Amino acid sequence: MTHRRYQDIRIDLVYFGHLVDQDKLHRDTIQPMLQARSEDIQTLLEQSQYHLTTDSKDLIKGILSGKAAVFHENESYLVDVAGPPSRSVGQSETETVIVGPHDAFNEDAGVNLALLRKRIKSSHLKVVKLSVGEVTKTDVYLLYIKGLNHEPYVQEAVERIRKLETDSIFDTHMLIEYIDDSSTSIFPQFLTSERPDAAASKLVSGRIVGIVDGSPTVFSAPTSFFEFFSSSDDYYQRWILGTATRLLRYLAFAVTISFTALYVAVTTYHYEMIPESLLLTLAESRSRVPFPPVYEALVMEVMIELLREAGARLPTKIGQTIGIVGGIVIGQAAVQAGLTSNILIIAVASSAISSFVIPSYVMSASIRLIRFVLLILAGWWGLFGMFVGMSGIVIHLSGLTSLGSSYLTPLAPLKPRDWLDVFVRAPLTAIRQRPSQNKSPNPIKSKNRK
Amino acid sequence: MRNVPRILILTLVATLLAGCGDKRILEDLGFTQTTSYDLLPTGELDITLSIPLADPEAKSKRMILRTTSVSSKESRIKMAMQTHLNLVSGQLRNSIFGLTLSKEGIWNHIDTLIRDPSISPQVKVTVINGNAGELLRKDYKQQPRTGKYIDKMLQKEAEGQNVPKVTLYHFARDYYDDGIDPIAPVLKDIGDHIAIDGIGLFRDDRYMTKIEPKDALIFAFLRGRFKQGELSVDLSRETHSDKQMAMLSGLMSTRKVKVNLGRNGQTTVTFAIRITGSILEYIGPYNLSDHSDKKKLENQIASHIIDKSEVMVRMMQKHKVDSLGIGTHVRNRMSYKAWKSMNWNDDVYPKVRVLFDVSVKIKDYGKFR
Repeated sequence: MTHRRYQDIRIDLVYFGHLVDQDKLHRDTIQPMLQARSEDIQTLLEQSQYHLTTDSKDLIKGILSGKAAVFHENESYLVDVAGPPSRSVGQSETETVIVGPHDAFNEDAGVNLALLRKRIKSSHLKVVKLSVGEVTKTDVYLLYIKGLNHEPYVQEAVERIRKLETDSIFDTHMLIEYIDDSSTSIFPQFLTSERPDAAASKLVSGRIVGIVDGSPTVFSAPTSFFEFFSSSDDYYQRWILGTATRLLRYLAFAVTISFTALYVAVTTYHYEMIPESLLLTLAESRSRVPFPPVYEALVMEVMIELLREAGARLPTKIGQTIGIVGGIVIGQAAVQAGLTSNILIIAVASSAISSFVIPSYVMSASIRLIRFVLLILAGWWGLFGMFVGMSGIVIHLSGLTSLGSSYLTPLAPLKPRDWLDVFVRAPLTAIRQRPSQNKSPNPIKSKNRK
Repeated sequence: MRNVPRILILTLVATLLAGCGDKRILEDLGFTQTTSYDLLPTGELDITLSIPLADPEAKSKRMILRTTSVSSKESRIKMAMQTHLNLVSGQLRNSIFGLTLSKEGIWNHIDTLIRDPSISPQVKVTVINGNAGELLRKDYKQQPRTGKYIDKMLQKEAEGQNVPKVTLYHFARDYYDDGIDPIAPVLKDIGDHIAIDGIGLFRDDRYMTKIEPKDALIFAFLRGRFKQGELSVDLSRETHSDKQMAMLSGLMSTRKVKVNLGRNGQTTVTFAIRITGSILEYIGPYNLSDHSDKKKLENQIASHIIDKSEVMVRMMQKHKVDSLGIGTHVRNRMSYKAWKSMNWNDDVYPKVRVLFDVSVKIKDYGKFR
């Protein structure tokens, strides 16, 4: 902490040197004070950048968040000269789009707010500022558009955050785990995104968006399961393409959770199901493998997960090695060594690729884990096991809520009108209403007819 | 935390139940692809199984198991003792019956096949003119594995209407249905290959006679509608000319059956058949691009088909086999009581008057004009 005293004008200046922007400090505070004579000082302090602060707690908080405190006689003022280190607005690493805006949120909540305000120039966009963490005192901003938003959702979210008593929060996902409806579930119940355009569209559709200072992701709520399968890209392409890609993602979902399990079930129990032309190739490639299909599949799935995890942790330069090693070891050598059948490799690889098609990383990670459960069930009971597993997933999903609203909307409760923007991406002129899950008081979204 | 006991119980149940031994891991199985049944003079059955082998170390592409036994399920137990694989029948594609057995009746075996839940109702039923086991055991050098060879050939020929598609389902349906008798394709060994030898006509489950392969398409016209087929007609006899031939391709045919019960008990059945097709080959005096000539040819082909059909139906009536299902149409026109009171196959069917109303339409006559 730096303490400067200007004897002749009776001023004390207190600030953290590493939190303030030195240029700003010089320009706004030190420079004018050096030039000022003691009789001018009162007029100087009446300038707009000096905020009169009487509470000592506020003063401390201000200094801790990078402001400079000015003491003059019996008065104290705060000057906002904060300039903590932050990176500039860059591209999103996890949610890339091909067409459409490329900017992404960064770790500075102020920047993030600015990115959103820039997109929604409405006086109805309201921000609730909250603070979380006894030690970290992290700022959390809840945004909503008054008039489009269902008020109880905001109250509920504010309530949950206020009730939260913990020492620290470092990321949006941490906050979500504290405040979502079922923290034991494997499924994320709040959508998270790095993209300002996605967040803005969530706001306009009547949802709440939450920004956590220090985290480049924002969350939106309430969320339905199907939201995780849509990407901003869907809206920036022609609607037919958007629909096709969206359907492709649902297909990928089905493939990723069931393909390997199906292989295990069929090769272990249901040989009748295999087409004749495939039967012999399959039996031939299985004939050298010493393990039952379920162990074979588990080994390969774990291997793929190892590769993925290693690839995610390693720096990009070494990461390429992983690709080569994985490609050779898993692709060729394992088959030649007789450890797995090559049809399993195809099954495992295609379900791994499919899992990456799902736009939300958090959701895709959850689904990858569920795959293992189905795989083991398929090894135990065959197709019946897969059926049991799927039923379990459906039962669990239908029990989940997001801010108290059903996670499976618009399937349960059934809202066929919403399907236009859930299972397909209908032409924008056809999507006339906001999603019913948001219970927006003003549900009409567009009035243009074509 | 209240879920913990539930999860434990579930895991326990799952683990205990997983102990059941109905696992059928692919590479340990011997999937029967074709089964053949023959009747031995002693009255026992001679059963052969053809099992494709996937083992890259095995020299042969398939395994053949043969045994004699009283019943087909007993034979499976006997044959299981000859192999290291678990014999399963879920991939069965074809069941072939020797001629002697077919003449005695094959329903018992069909019944056994249908009863087994792992056997698909899509399994084909085929009669072999000769010894079925011998044919199945023989390796045809220029052809794929014999079982697959028969299966693929029947499938392809059924698409061109040269043989009907007859599966366990069809056979059992026709067997149980009133007023129709089952049929099955007939194959025979011709040395290096297997050839289609016609369509076998059954009375109940006993093979009576067959239709020659050259008449297969006539049979197809009479039996129902179809959308693909080729027909070659030799019109020399009809026109008393030296040589006249036509080959029709891309045939589409629809059939309607009209029944007139008649007051005096003389039932008349009319087959109205509409055929369209394109001429691929024509040798004869007509100029096909001329409209009236084309009409003449159409009429000649139609009368040719009528002649052939009359011969065929008379033959079936003589053998008292109602393979065309005329009975089902007659049955639909009368009360159940009246139907039950008459003995269709033996008394009525042979005396039914069958008329034909055939119209042929030539859609086009090829690129050359």
